Amino acid sequence: MRTSGARLSTPPLTELTQVSGSETPAITCRNVWQVFGNNADSALKEALSRHETPEAAAQDLRGKGLIPAVQDASFDVKEGELFVIMGLSGSGKSTLIRCISHLLHATGGEIRIDGENIVEASPKRLIELRRKKLGMVFQHFGLFPHMTVAENVAYPLRVQGVKKKQRLAKAQEVIELVGLGGREKNFPRELSGGQRQRVGIARSLVADCSVWFLDEPFSALDPLIRRQLQDEFLEIQAKLRTTIVFITHDINEALKLADRIAIMRDGKVVQIGTPADIVLRPVDDYVREFSKDVAKGQHAHVSSVMQPGEHHVYGADDPGLRQDMTLDAALARCMELYEPVPVRTDDGKLVGVVNPADLAAALQVEQG
Amino acid sequence: MAGLSKGSIAALIAAAVGALCLALESSAPWLVKFPAAWVLPATDWVGAFMEWFLALIKPTARAFSALMFYPMEAANYVLSHTPWPLVICATTALAWTLGGVRMALMAVVGLGFVLASGYWPESMNTLALVAVSVPLALIIGGGIGILANEFPKIRQPVQAVLDIMQTVPTFAYLTPLLVLFGFGPVVGLIASAIYAAPPMARNVLLGLERVEPEIKEAAIMAGGTRLQQLFQCEIPSAGQQIMVGVNQCLMAALSMVIIAAVIGGFDDIGWEVLLTMRKAQFGQSLLAGLVIVIFAILIDRMSGTLTQDRRDMHDARIAWGIVALGVVVSAAFWGSIQQPGAYGLFNPVADSVDRGLSSFTSANAEFLTALKNNVLFYVLLPMRIGLDQAVLPFTWGFAWTPMMSAALFAAGAAAGVVFALRGRVALGVMLLIAAGMLETGISQLPWPFVLVGAGALAWVAGGRNLSVLTVVLLGTILLSGLWERALLSLYLSGAAVFACALMGGAIGLASAVSPGVWRVVRPVCDMLQTIPLFVFLIPVLMVFQIGEFSAFLAIIAYAIVPMIRYTRHGLVSTPDEMIEAATASGATTWQMLKDIRAPYAAPSILLGLNQTILYAFAMLVIAALIGTTGLGQSIYLALGQADVGLGISAGAAMAILALIADRMVQGFAEERRKALGL
Repeated sequence: MRTSGARLSTPPLTELTQVSGSETPAITCRNVWQVFGNNADSALKEALSRHETPEAAAQDLRGKGLIPAVQDASFDVKEGELFVIMGLSGSGKSTLIRCISHLLHATGGEIRIDGENIVEASPKRLIELRRKKLGMVFQHFGLFPHMTVAENVAYPLRVQGVKKKQRLAKAQEVIELVGLGGREKNFPRELSGGQRQRVGIARSLVADCSVWFLDEPFSALDPLIRRQLQDEFLEIQAKLRTTIVFITHDINEALKLADRIAIMRDGKVVQIGTPADIVLRPVDDYVREFSKDVAKGQHAHVSSVMQPGEHHVYGADDPGLRQDMTLDAALARCMELYEPVPVRTDDGKLVGVVNPADLAAALQVEQG
Repeated sequence: MAGLSKGSIAALIAAAVGALCLALESSAPWLVKFPAAWVLPATDWVGAFMEWFLALIKPTARAFSALMFYPMEAANYVLSHTPWPLVICATTALAWTLGGVRMALMAVVGLGFVLASGYWPESMNTLALVAVSVPLALIIGGGIGILANEFPKIRQPVQAVLDIMQTVPTFAYLTPLLVLFGFGPVVGLIASAIYAAPPMARNVLLGLERVEPEIKEAAIMAGGTRLQQLFQCEIPSAGQQIMVGVNQCLMAALSMVIIAAVIGGFDDIGWEVLLTMRKAQFGQSLLAGLVIVIFAILIDRMSGTLTQDRRDMHDARIAWGIVALGVVVSAAFWGSIQQPGAYGLFNPVADSVDRGLSSFTSANAEFLTALKNNVLFYVLLPMRIGLDQAVLPFTWGFAWTPMMSAALFAAGAAAGVVFALRGRVALGVMLLIAAGMLETGISQLPWPFVLVGAGALAWVAGGRNLSVLTVVLLGTILLSGLWERALLSLYLSGAAVFACALMGGAIGLASAVSPGVWRVVRPVCDMLQTIPLFVFLIPVLMVFQIGEFSAFLAIIAYAIVPMIRYTRHGLVSTPDEMIEAATASGATTWQMLKDIRAPYAAPSILLGLNQTILYAFAMLVIAALIGTTGLGQSIYLALGQADVGLGISAGAAMAILALIADRMVQGFAEERRKALGL
């Protein structure tokens, strides 16, 4: 399945996909393809050998009635990094995460987890990997309806043959971690959506995974619960520092959580970058469209708009800006330098005053 | 022809072929009646092959039969030697655990009735057969379902075989089994296991296929081996659907065990019904039939609770208490417990039913005969042999003249032209064809017309493949020499289905419109669906004696239920938004029914019709016991003579008819569903 010899095109995003330094990335994807349809394997090989660019190969496959759901995806995820894959439905993001977790066998390319190519792993080795290394959370929770909360959470230990008392004790720990203490004996159907996803999260954590896959974990929840779970998720991540691949279709969620974001469209990865990159330097209109409704001030930092300042002469005012401040915060500081200004009616009558600092504060979205 | 729809073209072709056959009737009689010389001795070939094949596996079968004898004897011994108070208490305890007070009461009253009727020993014999055949069926069916799920490649063939097994009539299983296993209860046992396995397999497969993909993925990601995934996650997740399979499996096994009484050799409750029916002791026969119904309802309702989503857990201590009570009572009255068969509390009732029945029939003889004869002379007979032969001075009071034929055709043609001018060519031509069929009679339709007509209909319903399949399969029946019998079967089931569609549709409509009607109809439907086929024969036989009319009634009583249910369900399950949109547009109740509910319900109603057809075919064979002609009779005769060739061929012919009807109606239903975007 190694396609390195057959690859002619160079990945266009090299400088962003390669992790600097010598350490092995936690996850490496190189030219990953997932094609659905009859004889997808041979059809992909043939298409790749015949065409120069992945776009042309994909076009060729489509012409034959096959579906190239993931096309030539390449990126690295560093250890402990929170890597978000974002795209609309049908963009191939769920397929891609299933290739990396090997729920789907990638049609072509190379996927390495801690340096081990899992596309070529034996079924036995895969079971071992899943028991020791990988955890996954699903959009619709994927809870076993016939098991209680505790049994669901302890299930990954059960398949490993851990004794009942031991595995329930371990399950209890994780259940407390996700804030479900007291619900151990309930069945999934007796829980709310948010609680169910907590069970899903607990189950994926129980076996101490080092790579954590989350497939739109919060999409099925209502907005308030979603916010709450996002915050708790960040807290858990701050504690555990696992490597995470997180799928979402919500740009705000991606910007809030991610260290880096990959944006997918029609099976292709169109941009990989930090939240600020995505917001301030979208590569094309598609990505720009996503970040249109985003409050940029929250996600971009002063450093992103800063210019070299040697030739300027400064007055007495210094609002005390720092490079890593958000634009919102910097603006507020600057506004504090102003005196209150008047507010008048149409015919010039004074009705009150406004403090510019208050204006800036009112525009800010509160940061959770 | 360019402007004509597919349906119109098909109808025109069929009409043309029919007209041609009628016109050439005198000069080429072979067009109407398939010449005997052209018939292949397929029945004999099948018989010879089957006999060779059966002889080949006979030693294995006999060994298996000897093997099965032990568990059966054991189950029989346990059930018939356990003191009846203990059996009743244990069943009640089980009923309590499953369904609480209501279910427990049902068990006590039901079994009390069985005990009082004096049919306790026979019932236990029947139960012993069920108790052995059901586990067998569950294992076989479950195994097939799981394998089909594991290996997607065999899924389609397995589905096809299950489909066929469901359409092959029950009696047809019995003949080869009889040859294989010899007379005796083992045949009933095996037959019921074979008959009960498909619903289990079907539901297991369905359940496993319907497990949410994310649950399967979660099991994989947890690091389970394939066996762990299957047995710890997928099968338990599919539990509810699998329990539906268990319920259907139990009911099928019971039904088949009772039908298998026909071959005798075992003193069970089905045999009792048959025996008393033959002796015309209808009171006793009804009593034994009621015992069967009680068992059917008990088994169905008790296993039905397993399929429910959320079951209340009932206190196990009470269940154990009830069992303990049974033990204590059995021990305390050990010496004085009567033989359970000795009770005959209802014998006087049965006798008075007999007396009442004979006085009722003699008092209302005129009315009953009139009813029977009217239906026979004015409906059944014309459909069977056509107006030209059915209309005689003896029956209708006048003779059928060529003038009348001409008038009938003219009327059909006129109606046809009227509709054709209104743009509904297909309907118009079909009216003309109907007139022709009425004149000729279904059993005497020219064979080229049937082949072409069925082929054309199949083409409209399901495209070219279905059309070819239909013609080839019907051609097989034609060549095998079973054609006339097949047409007879087609006529009787067709008449019954037609009656069911009219009456069932009307009742379904009434139930949909008025909740009050549904409250009455629903328990009746539940009841009718639980009763084993066999029992339907008793009441019709009591009132109308042996004959085609009784069979007709029995088929209707059994086959009408799905028509009612699906019609109602289709009509009431219109989405709320559609109702609201129609209401907001100002539609009246009637407009809503006609314009919104009915079109939306069409696929559902067609599926109901489909079920009704299959039910009618199933009952047709059973009804052969009380006198029908056609394939059912052949299957029944073959059973009596252990004629494997005839049994299998006739069974296959029935299955073919059912299969073709099934595919055609499904095709139409599918088309409607697609048109509605469902």
